[in-house]
Amino acid sequence: MTLQGWVPDIGPYLTLAEVIEHAFDYRGNVTVVRKDGSELVGYLSNRDGSAPEPFVQVIDEEGNDPVRIPYADIVNVLFTGKDPAEGNSWKAWLERKEREKAQHAPSA
Amino acid sequence: MSVPLSQMWTVATYVIRQKLAGRKRYPLVLMLEPLFRCNLACAGCGKIQYPAQILRKNLSVEKCLQAVDECGAPMVSIPGGEPLMYPEIDRLVAELVKRKKYVYLCTNAILLKEKLHLFTPSRYLTFSVHMDGLREEHDEAVCRDGVYDQALPAIQEALARGFRVTTNTTLFDGASPLRVREFFDEMMRVGVEGMMVSPGYSYSKAPDQEHFLRRSRTNQLFSDILSNPKRGWRFNQSPLFLRFLMGKHDYECTPWGNPTYNMFGWQRPCYLLQDGYAETFKELMETTPWENYGRKSGNEKCQDCMVHCGFEATAVDHTFSSLRGFIETAAVTFTGKL
Repeated sequence: MTLQGWVPDIGPYLTLAEVIEHAFDYRGNVTVVRKDGSELVGYLSNRDGSAPEPFVQVIDEEGNDPVRIPYADIVNVLFTGKDPAEGNSWKAWLERKEREKAQHAPSA
Repeated sequence: MSVPLSQMWTVATYVIRQKLAGRKRYPLVLMLEPLFRCNLACAGCGKIQYPAQILRKNLSVEKCLQAVDECGAPMVSIPGGEPLMYPEIDRLVAELVKRKKYVYLCTNAILLKEKLHLFTPSRYLTFSVHMDGLREEHDEAVCRDGVYDQALPAIQEALARGFRVTTNTTLFDGASPLRVREFFDEMMRVGVEGMMVSPGYSYSKAPDQEHFLRRSRTNQLFSDILSNPKRGWRFNQSPLFLRFLMGKHDYECTPWGNPTYNMFGWQRPCYLLQDGYAETFKELMETTPWENYGRKSGNEKCQDCMVHCGFEATAVDHTFSSLRGFIETAAVTFTGKL
């Protein structure tokens, strides 16, 4: 199950803080949409919702030092980047290996 | 047990100093992750699933050294990622050795042979080679054929050149005790200084979620493997930790024992969980809600964890907290009976 592609619908049933928690847990890039309309694409590397001024830290796509953005400036976080943990399972590797073995087995 | 006396002495005096100073929480091994890039993509590893800009990044040597100085732990483990892919690994290791830190450079050994010339043998430097079993089991665990056959000659070359070499082995559900025992025999035959074993941890980001061990199965597996240890087996870890894995001790986790520093900062609360990052080591120690972690806390992420980064520090602390712990450690060390 991946959150890749998720556009959260922030409202009475889903808070921004909850979405930020999901984004912090997500290993792909996200797009942080600010209240002024600007967007920052990058990896959400840290967040502190209990700080006096709650904030997130985002490492942009160029890999520059983290940008600190207060929760108060954020409208939404979109799960726009590829999930690097998705579709690369141990089971898939074993199945691929079995297929290779079968291909190389001498035919009866 | 195979930890050299000089290292044992350093750790023992360090722990006793912490106790005399009345420090309830102190670090034992700094887990220093200078990069997340790796030349393998093991299914049980949750450390490398990041976007490209993160995988390209390296911590500077200066930042690494600052973390080492801040933390003050006598041992530094360099996992990753694959540390031999870190461009300045030679300078980093040289600086750590200069500081008389016992360095465990954790590597899959794919690049070891070609990079050995960058290092000088020292009692402070150990190559801790990731080996999850004999050829079949290891190649399966790292999801690539041929890795075992690359690692073994690299280990032999490093030993021949006078380096300290240990192995670190993560065991998952389905491991065969008999095959693990054969693997221990083989590593001893090869001549490594000692072995480290640990059950795997179910990283939420690891692609393989089905094969991590649960606590009772962990006890059973390690009892089957270790209850009749061969005289020649040497382990480079606390014997009390091994007894804990066998179910002979009921330890609580010491998450601050192996603090983790990487490009995101000081990781809360431990090497395995990522609940946030502190900017300084002091902040990590003073502001992490430690009571929320460990089995007693009820935190579900901690319930089945028996990994060495959380419990080896507990075992070491047990050794120096009571006469009984000290005698037990000494007895196991000298008799080899677990």
